[in-house]
Amino acid sequence: MIGWAMRRLPPGGLAWLTLHELRGNLRAAGGGRTRWIVGGLVLLGYTGLGIFFSTMLADTPIRGGPIAWLAVLTASLLLFTFMITQSLLAAQRTLYEAGDLDLLFSAPLDPRTVVSAKLLGIAGGVMLTFSLFLLPILVPVAAFGHPGLLGAVALLVALALTAACIGLGVTLALARTAGPRAARTVGQILAALAGASFFLVTQIFNQEHENRQSGLSLLFETMRTRGYGNGAIGSLPGRAAFGEPLAILLLFGGAALLFALTGWAMRHLFLQSYRAGGTRPASKRAAKGGIARHFQQGLFATIFAKELRLLLRDPALVFQMLLRIVYLAPILLVAFRDGRALPLAPTLAFTSVVIAGQLVSSLAWLAASAEDAPDLLKVAPVAKDDLDFAKLLAAMALAAPLGLLLPIAIAFQTILGALVALVFTAGAGAAVGYLEVAHAQPAPRSTFQRRQRGGGIVRNLFEFLIALILGLVAGVLVYLV
Amino acid sequence: MSIPALRIAGLQKSFGKPVITGLDLTVGAGQLYALLGPNGAGKTTTLRMAVGLTEPDAGEIEIFGIDARRRPQEAKAITAWLPDEPMLYDKLTPAEYLGFVAGLWRIPPDQAAPEAERLLRWLELWEVRDTRCEGFSRGMQQKVALAGALIHDPQLLILDEPLTGLDAAMARSVKDALRAAVDAGKTVIVTTHILEVAERLADRIGIIAGGRLLAEGTLEELRALAGAEDMTLEDTFIRLTSRA
Repeated sequence: MIGWAMRRLPPGGLAWLTLHELRGNLRAAGGGRTRWIVGGLVLLGYTGLGIFFSTMLADTPIRGGPIAWLAVLTASLLLFTFMITQSLLAAQRTLYEAGDLDLLFSAPLDPRTVVSAKLLGIAGGVMLTFSLFLLPILVPVAAFGHPGLLGAVALLVALALTAACIGLGVTLALARTAGPRAARTVGQILAALAGASFFLVTQIFNQEHENRQSGLSLLFETMRTRGYGNGAIGSLPGRAAFGEPLAILLLFGGAALLFALTGWAMRHLFLQSYRAGGTRPASKRAAKGGIARHFQQGLFATIFAKELRLLLRDPALVFQMLLRIVYLAPILLVAFRDGRALPLAPTLAFTSVVIAGQLVSSLAWLAASAEDAPDLLKVAPVAKDDLDFAKLLAAMALAAPLGLLLPIAIAFQTILGALVALVFTAGAGAAVGYLEVAHAQPAPRSTFQRRQRGGGIVRNLFEFLIALILGLVAGVLVYLV
Repeated sequence: MSIPALRIAGLQKSFGKPVITGLDLTVGAGQLYALLGPNGAGKTTTLRMAVGLTEPDAGEIEIFGIDARRRPQEAKAITAWLPDEPMLYDKLTPAEYLGFVAGLWRIPPDQAAPEAERLLRWLELWEVRDTRCEGFSRGMQQKVALAGALIHDPQLLILDEPLTGLDAAMARSVKDALRAAVDAGKTVIVTTHILEVAERLADRIGIIAGGRLLAEGTLEELRALAGAEDMTLEDTFIRLTSRA
């Protein structure tokens, strides 16, 4: 489809280059023919659902209003945080990983066209992702009696364009101020934070207000009581989504203007960052005497030293792993809340086991699957089982400082309970770590962002389930002792 | 008769279509052996099977008499593999990398550290031993990988296009090092597209095409096979492979 369109456009033009970018984004998403076929079937089913809704809603009036506008604003905020995450990562990929900038900038093309196409490519990728969720439902409903709802497409485009501008702007500003390497690290951390921000903010709200609403409904309630969503600006997304022409014009026009300004303003910065990224100077450290300190006795010490070094030198990865634990924070907050329903020590034991499971799972995956030199390990005279065992031990040893914290806290209440928690924490770590190591699919660490962690959602869920069950058993045992 | 460094018999490998079709190859100990062949001839696949990275469909592989398919660890302990893409960790320094490789080959630290220092100095990496490899040029990365291949004092070095990305001076150093290794009793097998390297360095040359060994011998023997005494290796190579 894209190839067909490209053949009909003048080569080297903005539209042609943008389609080239989109094609690259689609192919970067990976997957073979089976995945595309399954995806297509799911999309078809989803569209069928949309058509079903459209027949149900054909005669039902759908009108905007303060509550509906507020709902759209809430959903837009949620979408926007995800879009920023995606555009930050896409901007990084464009600048540091795509590998086509040499070709594009050495071609007889206006650099402004290249920068604009890159920006449109980022926005297009973001739009495509969210269109898949929105359009199969929205378009049929709009087509059968509610054409005003097509305004939501304009809202989606406006959000994606703005997110792309922010993503590229932040990445370039970081590259300018902190240098290309730091920009990558900080950018990845920011992307992870942006993705988690909605969850974290709503969880904090949840704890403050001691209610058990979902994050989305809580945010909605909070904004409603504070009067957001009714004002001229707050209601704009809602009005646009329900088809008010002026709101569409303002939102879409504003986003397009921002996009044009960003393209114009960022051209110089983009070229500068590209050139700085292209050279990627190594941080040359002063040589520090003898090298005997780098040589360890034994396989475990060798693997541990290597994994520790690689981990410490990749703060973005460490941050992403810690963020997974932050997602478990609500469990702890329940235990510490005033007037808590759950006893402290068993809750801590449960939390300790679940956190250890998550942490060791991530570390074991990094040790086994994020492997830059798998062939080196294969040609080494070491049995695969020994190597896997050393990697599992290394992952557990790296997780140990955090894994010990909660059992130590439990020890202030019950020593036996602390021992039980410790045994189950180690057991959960070993079990999920073993699964990760046993099913490792080594690939370079630099591809981490693009890969599905752990090789599949089923295994991740299974590991979480194991940790959950062991956590529950640990909690009950600690309660009993 | 001495045990050959590498003996391959009846080797077969197919990736959907046959790549190696009953290859027989023997490389004597203490030789520098160049394996030549057109693109896609199966050189790299053969060597990857020899070092245990690719599983053959059939055939025998022995390294210094050790059955590499049945006793892979013993065979790997005396073998080094240097592919054209260096097997490195971007975020490790050369010194740390050598420490890691020495650990994998279980070389005692008191033995490995002085050898690492010697290699780093010889390869002109000593000044950057504590700098991460991520900013290194291709040639520098190749040198680090070469140091890694040599740190455990292998009896058999198998190198796939070892001069890729090296500048002229470093390429000369590597060639000298390979020759020195052979003079010290090691066996070196290299694949190369630079026929001049094979012509000047190799004791014996094997030409592989279509997954089998077309011709093998010294340069003079190959010239005789090609039917012209005064040919360059390039002309000999083209004449022999065009017959296949």
